[in-house]
Amino acid sequence: MITGITGIISDLSLYRRLIGMQLRTQVQYKVNLAVDIFTYFLVTMLEYMVIFLYFNTFQTLLGWHVGEVALLGAVVSFTFGLAELFGSGLDSFSEIIRRGEFDRILLRPVGALMQVASNEFRMRRLGRMTQGLLMFLFALHLLPALHWTFAKLLMLVFGIASGATIFVAVLLLGATLCFWTVETTELANILTYGGREVMSWPLSVYNRAFQSIFLFVVPLAFGLYMPVCYLLGRPQPLGLPDAAAFLSPLAAALFAAVAYVFWRFGVRRYQSAGG
Amino acid sequence: MAAKTTTMIETHDLSKAFRIAKRRPGLFGGMRSIVDPEMRTVSAVRDLNILVERGEMIGLIGPNGAGKSTTIKMLTGVLVPSSGKVTVAGFDPHRQRRALASHIGVVFGQKTQLWWDLPLIDSLLLLRHLYHVPAERHAENLAHMRAMLDLDEFIHTPVRQLSLGQRMRGDLAAALLHDPELLYLDEPTIGLDVVAKARIREFLLEINRTRGVTVLLTTHDMDDVEALCPRMMIVDHGRKLFDGPVTGIRERFGGERTLIAQIDPADLATLPRGGENQPIIEGLPAGVRQVPAESPQVALAFTRDALPAHELVAWLGARIRLRDVTFEEPDIEDMIRHIYEDGLLLKEEEEAVSVG
Amino acid sequence: MPRKTHYYRFYFEVARASFRRQLVYRWTNLTGLIVNIFFGAIFSYVMIALFQARHDTAGYDLRDTLRYIWLVQALIMVVVPFGWTDLMLTIRSGDVVSDLSKPCDFYWYWFSREVGSALYYFLFRTVPIYLGGMLLFGIGLPGGWVSWLGSGFFLLIGAALGIAFRFLYNIIAFWIIEARAMVTMGQVIATFFTGSYIPIAFMPFWLRSITLWLPFNGMMNVPTEIFTGKLFGGALAFEFLRQALWLVALTLLARGIAAIAARRVVVQGG
Repeated sequence: MITGITGIISDLSLYRRLIGMQLRTQVQYKVNLAVDIFTYFLVTMLEYMVIFLYFNTFQTLLGWHVGEVALLGAVVSFTFGLAELFGSGLDSFSEIIRRGEFDRILLRPVGALMQVASNEFRMRRLGRMTQGLLMFLFALHLLPALHWTFAKLLMLVFGIASGATIFVAVLLLGATLCFWTVETTELANILTYGGREVMSWPLSVYNRAFQSIFLFVVPLAFGLYMPVCYLLGRPQPLGLPDAAAFLSPLAAALFAAVAYVFWRFGVRRYQSAGG
Repeated sequence: MAAKTTTMIETHDLSKAFRIAKRRPGLFGGMRSIVDPEMRTVSAVRDLNILVERGEMIGLIGPNGAGKSTTIKMLTGVLVPSSGKVTVAGFDPHRQRRALASHIGVVFGQKTQLWWDLPLIDSLLLLRHLYHVPAERHAENLAHMRAMLDLDEFIHTPVRQLSLGQRMRGDLAAALLHDPELLYLDEPTIGLDVVAKARIREFLLEINRTRGVTVLLTTHDMDDVEALCPRMMIVDHGRKLFDGPVTGIRERFGGERTLIAQIDPADLATLPRGGENQPIIEGLPAGVRQVPAESPQVALAFTRDALPAHELVAWLGARIRLRDVTFEEPDIEDMIRHIYEDGLLLKEEEEAVSVG
Repeated sequence: MPRKTHYYRFYFEVARASFRRQLVYRWTNLTGLIVNIFFGAIFSYVMIALFQARHDTAGYDLRDTLRYIWLVQALIMVVVPFGWTDLMLTIRSGDVVSDLSKPCDFYWYWFSREVGSALYYFLFRTVPIYLGGMLLFGIGLPGGWVSWLGSGFFLLIGAALGIAFRFLYNIIAFWIIEARAMVTMGQVIATFFTGSYIPIAFMPFWLRSITLWLPFNGMMNVPTEIFTGKLFGGALAFEFLRQALWLVALTLLARGIAAIAARRVVVQGG
């Protein structure tokens, strides 16, 4: 028990150091970093602008007000940025496999997943998170009637934490696919960028099968969308009870566990087939 | 756990076979291959028996695709063997991969483990945490490596700006900071110039002598083996062809070396000409023969027991003015062919080793 | 100096080689196709929901909008391929030096390469993606052969504009070592102003007036609007003039900058 805890503490401090190496690398290219963060800021801004442009024409989306959609978009974007920040090493895992660097990772006495995850740390994702935060504040301004309670605040934290966990788990699934082939890395984009896009709009927009997939198979809607519905006081998808939103961390933990098991399976397959 | 026996590496009938999916041509063929793959089995390593004592330096040589790197991967636990037994430093490499990792160091000549964009020192400091080395021990080792490998002149330079030789010195230091008992080196001198090669070899001999590190190196360069390893193994097609002392191996199987001399143009004109207008050197010593070369060069092939290389240079220099002289060593592929032709050799040598 | 026909032959071979190279990456291309169809489906659902609020806007009803969305997904890889850093990578690796010393025009060399892959993407992305839209959302085929022909002609201009544009944001790598961020920026700007996020017709008046005058308008919006029958008759002549001018301007700019970059390589040796 005690050794388990000290193990985790030493792993965390190692993770911090590995990320530190990445940060020092990026600071070396200052101009590039600045342009990078600015570009990312711009990308995100254009994405939000699209929401307002659509609402300029259409006023309402299945009863959703522009402020509500903006708040949803802001939370999704912030969460996605957070996941990308911590999961960028997983996102570029195909490069590690292509360059044959996974052997080196297996040759070290610390966990492979931690080394892969800390192999990259894209600071420009801070641009997306900042933008998400600003947008969140602006959406609140558009929603003067929204009353905050402790439960809603808790739900916001749940939503961001669960959503980010599921996005990272999706990146982990994509990384695991690389043990079989590096040609289909784009497939994971359906669940990452695609998942972000799907989450950015009210779930009732999609057909029922689609909704069920994102609620129960890749539970992005369970982990992220349901908490947002709760704090906006909107009905939950597919007639689920409001309190179900409190289960979002559970959904995230389950999905992450499945992704981790699949990853372990992938590592074992790599060790018997030799990449 | 790691009982302190005198054995470092022991394998028994170690084998590895890969199952490789054959691809059908065309888009639909490709799709079918995913659902219904057509597999074939490729044997990379077959029934390999290796016994390496602590403190040995041993060279593993063989052509590309001979099974060298598959063997190393199984010895480090990166790859699971298909069958057979393997023990390294008292560990089962695959089951105890992470525990074993603290006891071994690995250097790949063509892939660095250093952080590319950062000064060398940053990587060397970080490795302490990756390997959980106690601070004092790490400081001591680092100071030692800095002195032995002269790292100070470039330790604050980003790794991407280092020369290949400097980078290799950095990689060697990185692999040794956690006091490994066993060091695997994969082509440690590839692409290096003569001076850098000599320096790396000197260092390896030193750490083997003073720290008792067991060294297993794979290489294409017979000079590495001759300079470092009293014993070597030759593998090809996943099988061990030879396992025994290095001394005399080149003389027995290496065939001839070739001396290539650049002749002064003035002297070249005075030489008699033979077929295809080749200049002819007359009165060659026994065991030396002339082979065709491009003018103004002359090439002489000779066996080591005929006469030492410097004597041949002196002999030739006494007759004509030489601009430059280089030697070509017989290559490994050549040697392996010779060993094949000498089929019974392996058996004979194995008996000799087990007796001795 | 070899005869002119040799040059045409060379460029043709470059384009052909580039087309064939795409054929090798069939898995990558298949997954890319699936991703495009997935996004087409998401945007379609959003549009269907939005059109619950009103019947039509800016002369577009739901079916027109769905057609627009699917055409955009179908044409993206032909006109503004995402993640195109091919030229930038050769500059970083130094391979560009050998391309510059080829006995041909540097710009037309890259242009031919891109024409080859654009043709590939037209056959193996545009067509199947639009068919996917027809199958999943019943968008059907608008117009007749006249509008298809006109649309095809303007797509040629659009593809050429796209090539000039991506050449420009890649060649920046001659001056900035890590030009990746510029690439992202170039792509985002193009994505927005080609109408990939929101159809140009839906933009508010002030934004639309600016956008229509940009070269991005000619890349996807014009061929798409001709195809859906929103743009026809005399307006086409005007549109042709506008886009042809942009094409000449961008091509001259790209070649000019390439010439400056080439001189830089010669002076500094890369």
